[in-house]
Amino acid sequence: MNQAPSPANGLGATCATCPAYRTARLKKLGIKAGASSRVVALAGNPNTGKTTVFNALTGLHQHTGNWPGKTVARTEGAFEYEERQYKLIDLPGTYSLLAGSPDEEIARDFILFGRPDVTVVVVDASRLERNLNLALQVLEITGRVVVCLNLMDEARRHGLDVDTRCLARDLGVPVVATSARYGRGLAELVQAIDEVAQGRFVCQPGRLRTAPPELHAALATLAAKVSLALPGVPNTRWIAMRLLGGDERIAPVLTTGELGRAGQGADPEETGGKKAPRTPLPAPGHPDPGAVEEALRTADALRRDTGSTFNERLVECIYAEAARLAGRAVTRPDARHQADFDRAIDRIVTSRRWGFPIMALLFTAMFWITITGANIPSRWLSALLIDTVYPALREFGASLGWPAWLRGVTIDGMYLATAWVVSVMLPPMAIFFPLFTLLEDLGYLPRVAFNLDGLFKQAGAHGKQAMSLMMGFGCNAAGVVATRIIDSPRERLLAIITNNFSLCNGRWPTQILIASLFLGGLAPAHLAGLISAGAVMAVALLGVVLALLVSWSLSRTVLRGERSLFSLELPPYRPPRLWQTLYRSVIDRTLIVLWRAVVFALPAGAVIWLSANLAVGGTSVAEHLIRLLDGPGLLIGLNGVILLAYLVAIPANEIVIPTILIFTVLTTQTTGVGRGAGVLFELHSPAELLALLHRGGWTLLTAVNLMLFSLVHNPCSTTIYTIYRETRSAKWTSVAVFLPLALGFVITLAVACLWRLLAGG
Amino acid sequence: MLSNSPLLFWFIVVFLAGTLLWARRRRSRRREVARELAERVRREDALKHLCKCEANGIPATLASVAGILHLPADGTAELLGDMEQRGLVSFSSGELHLTPTGRASGLHIIRAHRLWESYLAGETGVEKNAWHAQAEEREHSISPAEADRLSARLGHPVRDPHGDEIPRAGGALSADPGRPLTTLAPGTAGRIVHLEDEPEIVHAQLVAEGLRLGAVVEVVENSDRRMRFWAEGDEHVLAPLLAHNVDVLPFAPDEAGRTETTLSDLKPGAQATVLGLMPDCRGQERQRLLDLGFVPGTKVASEMTSPTGEPTAYRVRDSLIALRREQARHVRVRVPAADAAPPP
Repeated sequence: MNQAPSPANGLGATCATCPAYRTARLKKLGIKAGASSRVVALAGNPNTGKTTVFNALTGLHQHTGNWPGKTVARTEGAFEYEERQYKLIDLPGTYSLLAGSPDEEIARDFILFGRPDVTVVVVDASRLERNLNLALQVLEITGRVVVCLNLMDEARRHGLDVDTRCLARDLGVPVVATSARYGRGLAELVQAIDEVAQGRFVCQPGRLRTAPPELHAALATLAAKVSLALPGVPNTRWIAMRLLGGDERIAPVLTTGELGRAGQGADPEETGGKKAPRTPLPAPGHPDPGAVEEALRTADALRRDTGSTFNERLVECIYAEAARLAGRAVTRPDARHQADFDRAIDRIVTSRRWGFPIMALLFTAMFWITITGANIPSRWLSALLIDTVYPALREFGASLGWPAWLRGVTIDGMYLATAWVVSVMLPPMAIFFPLFTLLEDLGYLPRVAFNLDGLFKQAGAHGKQAMSLMMGFGCNAAGVVATRIIDSPRERLLAIITNNFSLCNGRWPTQILIASLFLGGLAPAHLAGLISAGAVMAVALLGVVLALLVSWSLSRTVLRGERSLFSLELPPYRPPRLWQTLYRSVIDRTLIVLWRAVVFALPAGAVIWLSANLAVGGTSVAEHLIRLLDGPGLLIGLNGVILLAYLVAIPANEIVIPTILIFTVLTTQTTGVGRGAGVLFELHSPAELLALLHRGGWTLLTAVNLMLFSLVHNPCSTTIYTIYRETRSAKWTSVAVFLPLALGFVITLAVACLWRLLAGG
Repeated sequence: MLSNSPLLFWFIVVFLAGTLLWARRRRSRRREVARELAERVRREDALKHLCKCEANGIPATLASVAGILHLPADGTAELLGDMEQRGLVSFSSGELHLTPTGRASGLHIIRAHRLWESYLAGETGVEKNAWHAQAEEREHSISPAEADRLSARLGHPVRDPHGDEIPRAGGALSADPGRPLTTLAPGTAGRIVHLEDEPEIVHAQLVAEGLRLGAVVEVVENSDRRMRFWAEGDEHVLAPLLAHNVDVLPFAPDEAGRTETTLSDLKPGAQATVLGLMPDCRGQERQRLLDLGFVPGTKVASEMTSPTGEPTAYRVRDSLIALRREQARHVRVRVPAADAAPPP
């Protein structure tokens, strides 16, 4: 970091330029931004470590990953430097500001209408040419820019050297080299931000050659007209460019003359909802209607001459300028070892021969580690929460003199269900998510999307759906969130709706238990394990096939004719940082998902207990319901107990098996098993369990159909809630709920009919 | 029950009779509306045809109008008579001419049609083959103000996805560029600038043949019986009648299009220089490709292909970008002479 620039500095003392001194003056404020704070926007291409910079400055823990497009909505944080407060806005990663995709509009509107005091453009030092494209576009809008040259470590590894001084001189704005992942260069970055915000560094980005030379005259003419129409607006050239480019959103801004409020009025959410106008753009005077009309007419006439190729010429020129600047600043003293190394790995992991075997091996290993590794902590948690704390709580409740019903609802119902969910759910997630995040950080997952895209394309879907499905094997709610990396709305919707078909952690125990009890029992003892494992794998694979089939049919029916955009960038491999990965995946994914599950499990526990203990006309509510559901249940090869268990287990699939046991005990009037009506329990002896289920009328068909139904039914409430939050549409949420449910009924009914036909004939 | 309540009986009779009468009137009214609409559509289609003829300097005749509208001669004569009465056309010395009102109205329909096609191509996932038919319906229900709004939303496009000029509101139509493929001599090459979208069956056939806007064609044989030519690495044989619907802009003799190909045809490991994007790639798709760096002059290398056949990863400006085949087909590239495929 000895290359850090020293932009015009008001402090003369040596200690003031020492990084240690400056770091001491940086205070991370998390989300606590004061009312008077200055606003700093963080823009950049996807996957340039923008969010890492954001986290490093604010001390927050926004999720990052080696994936283009992790940050979707805007996030805010704050920091303090020399007792001046700054509000930091992390804008979505975009390649440009011209295409008008929702992400790009959010970013552009904020830079233009939100009027940040400083815009920090984070660029990837190892791919400067492409990243400068965005930086140059931002510089057209505002001059108050600091360029953060991030991923310097990676650039060095690739044998590149970037001359920050040369780049700063060419761009006319401060350029700071950082490696945000290792916390390097951040002090200099903050100082540069502060200097630009204070006006101590005056940016001079005027000498850039971004406009097409043959259009200079046209631009100058139009810009002159615009400045007549809007006296006092500094970025008239940018407005002229947008008018020539046919940007529909600029003309209305011109006629109202309210460059500062146009965006806010339209959508305060997206532009940050700031009320006070900011300094960079002086409030324009009243537009002269005649001059505005004249400017618009000129634009229309010029557009005829420049043709529809204006935007293309513009991008071409911006890239030419980016290439020129990068050529001056970047030297390649070292032959590109790393790039060759990356390429060699890519050749292997995407090859016809090794691509799929490597993928299969990695994922099998991941599942094996998760399933076997989770057993031990699960047992510990269960011993602690259920065998130790639960009896203690019961005694405590009794000692307080609580009535039996109160103890039943709170301790036997709510506490026990929650404890159950935690002990079954937490360990596999705490193992699966870090493993997944590790592969993600490494950069392997985009290669998986690349390998599988051909398959997903056939289904009308996006290769990245493979990732969200994979994530769904951990938890469907997390899988639905993971679809954010898909930037095409249509394909993203498909991925959200079909995520439920990947068998989540909560359903694996059911599958494994039923398969080993019923199917494993069919085979000779030494093959039993293999048969049951094979059956579970078959069900999981069926889920993937169903996800593809449903995507295929939806994309050809309901979503037919919707626009689809494909983009997949394969980022360079990055050595993952183990502790950060572990910490972040536990905080971001595991705990959040667990918290939601707990919130939903509490009432479910109460409902289970109450349904088993409240009696209407001498029989419990549960028994009434079971009798009601027995008709349809038996028709589809299940029974009333199972259907009721799925009804009350909507909050968490983990409690399906214990709920089935409670209700089976209840309906078969079995005594000596379990802890009492409506209290979750588990049987550790398979023979005993099998005997109980046989008493409940279970056959092999029931077992097979339960395995199928467990795969194909409505998502759990946590997932439903997440789907609603991600789609913001009641319509698509209900499709995601009822489509798999209906499909589940159809599949189990078909299997039952076929079974009876074969067994009968 | 009816017998012991005569009032109810009569009430029902009156109600039924009233409903029947109302329904009949409604039906006849609806039929009349449909007939009026059909007539308006026919008038507007005729105006469209007349505008195109006028712009290209081709005399419009009763027969050509009849051909476009699939109408018998007497029906066409009746229609044109009606149009003359409405002040849309005039006959002078046996020729059909547009009045200023007729011209404005025809141009608006052409503008609406081409804007709608641009919208379908750029903003939706509707298939290529369906663009024309959908636009053919929509053009009659778009008002000039709506057309202006559509144009603004699309960023004021100048050409539609078939390569035709979109007239400005209140502007004029210029002559079609290029000339029919059938006028090209064997051994010469050109670029496709227009694929006729009428009649539909012809357009569907051309699209099925794999011909598209921007493709480079090189004529091998041109006789009365057939046209043989190369386009994008494939040999095509068309009947002259069909080939007449393809308009090309011939290359100058030194402007060789032979080394031009698309990214999708790039061999694994090969390098190329981007020449531009195909004209039928529109909207956000086009902008995204540009933003990723696929602009003229950029060096691209094909790095690897997915084991499932698609996509292929290309190195462009130090990034590795995966494109599906139909996206890669949108990028025109020039391969260095040594790597170029041997001439067909």
